[in-house]
Amino acid sequence: MGPRRRQLKNAYAEAMQFRRRAVIAFLAVTLALAGLATWYFRLQVLQHAEYATRSDANRIKPRPVVPGRGLIFDRKGRVLADNVPAYRLDVVPDEAGDLKKLVADLSRVVALTPEDIERFDKDRRGRHGFRPITLKLRVGEEEAARFAVDRWRYPGVELVPYLNRRYPHGDVLAHIIGYVGRIDEADLAKMGEVDAALTHTGKTGLERYYEEALRGKVGYEKIETNVEGRALRRLGQVPAVPGADLRLSIDLDLQRAMVAAFEDHDGSAVAIDPRTGEILAMVSLPSYDPNLFVNGISHTDYKALMDNPSRPLFNRNVLGGGPPGSTVKPLIALAGLDSGLRRPEDAVFSTGEFHIPGQRRGYRDAHGGAGWTDLRKSIAASVNFYYYKLAYDMGIRRFDEYMRKYGFGAPTGIDLAGETSGVVPSPDYKAKRTRENWYPGETVIAGIGQGYWVATTLQLARGTAAIANGGRLVRPHLAASRRDGYDAPWTPLPQPEAPHITDNADHLRAVQEGMMGTMQPGGTGFSLVRGAPYLMAGKTGTAQKISRRGGASVDPHQLPFHLRHQALFVGYAPAENPTIAIAVAVEHGGFGASTAGPIARKVFDAWLLGTMPEPKPTNAVPVAAGTPPPAVAPAR
Amino acid sequence: MNAIARILYDLVARILRTVDLPLLGALLALMGIGLAVLYSAGGETPRLVIAQGARFAVGLAAMWGLSRIPPTRLRHWSPLVYGVSLLPLLLVLLIGQGKHGNHWINLGVFYFQPSEVIKLSLPMMLAWFLQREPLPPRFHIVVASGVLIAVPFGLILLQPDFGTGMLVASSGVFALFLAGLSWWWFAAAGAGVAAVAPVAWIWMLRPYQKDRILTFLNPESDPLGTGWNIIQSKIAIGAGGMTGKGWGQGSQSHLDYLPEHTTDFIFAVLSEEFGWLGVATVLALYLFVIGRCLWIAAEARDGYSRLLAGALGLAFFVYVIVNGGMISGMLPVVGIPMPLLSYGGTSAVSLLAGLGLVMAIGAHRPRHAT
Repeated sequence: MGPRRRQLKNAYAEAMQFRRRAVIAFLAVTLALAGLATWYFRLQVLQHAEYATRSDANRIKPRPVVPGRGLIFDRKGRVLADNVPAYRLDVVPDEAGDLKKLVADLSRVVALTPEDIERFDKDRRGRHGFRPITLKLRVGEEEAARFAVDRWRYPGVELVPYLNRRYPHGDVLAHIIGYVGRIDEADLAKMGEVDAALTHTGKTGLERYYEEALRGKVGYEKIETNVEGRALRRLGQVPAVPGADLRLSIDLDLQRAMVAAFEDHDGSAVAIDPRTGEILAMVSLPSYDPNLFVNGISHTDYKALMDNPSRPLFNRNVLGGGPPGSTVKPLIALAGLDSGLRRPEDAVFSTGEFHIPGQRRGYRDAHGGAGWTDLRKSIAASVNFYYYKLAYDMGIRRFDEYMRKYGFGAPTGIDLAGETSGVVPSPDYKAKRTRENWYPGETVIAGIGQGYWVATTLQLARGTAAIANGGRLVRPHLAASRRDGYDAPWTPLPQPEAPHITDNADHLRAVQEGMMGTMQPGGTGFSLVRGAPYLMAGKTGTAQKISRRGGASVDPHQLPFHLRHQALFVGYAPAENPTIAIAVAVEHGGFGASTAGPIARKVFDAWLLGTMPEPKPTNAVPVAAGTPPPAVAPAR
Repeated sequence: MNAIARILYDLVARILRTVDLPLLGALLALMGIGLAVLYSAGGETPRLVIAQGARFAVGLAAMWGLSRIPPTRLRHWSPLVYGVSLLPLLLVLLIGQGKHGNHWINLGVFYFQPSEVIKLSLPMMLAWFLQREPLPPRFHIVVASGVLIAVPFGLILLQPDFGTGMLVASSGVFALFLAGLSWWWFAAAGAGVAAVAPVAWIWMLRPYQKDRILTFLNPESDPLGTGWNIIQSKIAIGAGGMTGKGWGQGSQSHLDYLPEHTTDFIFAVLSEEFGWLGVATVLALYLFVIGRCLWIAAEARDGYSRLLAGALGLAFFVYVIVNGGMISGMLPVVGIPMPLLSYGGTSAVSLLAGLGLVMAIGAHRPRHAT
């Protein structure tokens, strides 16, 4: 019993009072819970679509799948460029916190070069902080292990597997294949967001020309991620399309033979299958190791390459060129025939010095007067007089027209970027360059491939191939076929219809005979044929890169080294059924027959007989100073 | 055979004599749902389920034990229980532990949360205090009741634990309401709160509490900070739709987007996996529990029993509405668990114990009015 009551309670009234209040309370509770249920109904049923979308957006994140870059093979299926598994370090700045400290800490675990850090700082600017940025490519096995142990100390840093481009033959093919390099801002702007997952893009050579095909297509995986962004499982994917493989017409053995044939010389050479335009070998020396560029070249290596006076990075075949000298004579002879100015048997009397009527100045022959000279002899013995007169008779306008028809003054269309056009001497060109009038004497020297001429080795090789194959001006090309996927068939790349340089087979025959004459007794190249079991046709040449500046003569010995005389040779073999045409330019090589010719002979031998020249290691060593890092990070 | 069955039946009947079976049924249903959701939310391992099951067992035992105590004896002990239960509230301020304050006392075997006991002892005290005088309560009784509420409320606020404080205070207010407190008091209290609110905002609320209120008003204003929980919780609820994603299929909780998904936000997990139908079912069960308590209260013959049972039943409602409203963005974030669903704490035990008191009242009703 409770304490004594001070007042009497009305038990019934209190009970009724409670019941009233209890009913009110219950109604209020019911109303409130119904309100709550209504609120949930609004969220769960009326706004369901919106929240379901947000729920999916929460958990499903697209993750790019980087395709493997297409491989490059030589004509016999040997790998010239491939991909090897490697690891890189990616940093997500938003998650990493103090980046300066992070970089300092990381450099104790992995070797970070100043270039790495510089590059990282540059990449970081103007990019989203939640996007991973690569700090270091090709992390070594030991470094990766060290990082893995300490990984908890580096939030936002991840070791990402990727495929690293490798060029197993290094400098032998550098000017053909080129290299891939890190994607920079300009590349990104060009490629767009879709390919932002890629790290490398072709910078030069075939890697650049066939970038689209080699790159493939970035795919996407739909990844279910938890709140920390850790991938849990794959929900679906748009598969990556691997890059197309390329099969080159290059023959690795012949390429090596060509490099070896150059011995210590600088210069360039192109060997073409005249029937198709397939380039069998193409060198520009000195060369460099393209592997240096794949992951960012160091400042010292780059400086060494840039400071080298022989300019190893300069592709002489497509970017260079110079006066073709006497090697262009066979085509000028053809122009003489086709223009109707000469017949093959027409002979001029060479006195050793040609005079424009009414002018005192004489244009000389190196070997003095050759006497009566017909077309065949003019080629075989390289008689300047014949060509001085022919060019003078033809006039520069017509001369220019024919030379263009033979492929000079325009890019050959080779599958390399940035090919130069070269120059065919013409009043228009001179007017543009110098604002001066054309002198008849300039027509005369154009006839022996001097003066305003600029022809690339590639153009000479193509012109020679056209003579060899019966007059078709084929497109020189490096990539013969491609396949889209490992088990896809190789499909040949389409080549344009080859224009004909002449309609007259007899004219061509006469020129061919002249070139065969070069390799016979009395020809300028006779010394080259000793011991050859096949017939060759060819033309030697020596060219001053610059003979005159404006009107003034230039002393060749005061020219920079790389502008001095070039030894040249063009030719094809076997003469009666040619399977290879070649153009060789040896810088400061002296007389064409003595340096350029033997190189051509060695290449012919290698191609036709399979005899390789003695390899000379000097050209195989990268020109860049400093030891290049191993091209390949150990996989896993 | 028949005899054995009969003996067994008698035994069970004797054991369950004081237990209100409809109430027990609803509670068991809620506990079953709670364990099922917990299994899913806890990463589908039995660890949390076993721990929670153990708590339920303790709670059910307490419920059973308390249901056997005659309300007259409860009434007799009420002032003493109230007085004694204030001591640990003082003690916890000195030696307590907790994430955001001093909430628990480490007893070695388990963590004791003193505020849980006051959830029972305050309604007991008020029921005892109010029924001594004729009802509705007169002015000085109301003021004295206010002091009885304010002391534990103030001590809990000092921990600080606004959510529990509010629960405790509301159970006292419910007792006053059921006792027939004049509506004028409620009107005056409403006006008072409105007047004090700005003052409280400036001087009394802690920064995290202000954050919670601001976040409630506009969760999208700070989607990665304090608004994150509510946004993710609403996504979980909304993504559930009418029928839910299915048991164990809630991506929001399984992928850790939903914070605290085994404790305060477990109802969002239920919403995601069982949809609005699941929500409505659980709310209906809660409504049944509350209604059953009020029914038992109304059937009771003495004032103490009525007030105690009614206040305890309505306290249940506060849990549900505050938690359910908070996780769906209808009310500000207040740390109150969903009864019998949320993992952990001693709230499950105290809730079941409280319902044990209600059952005691139902079981010990005199056959005839006195």
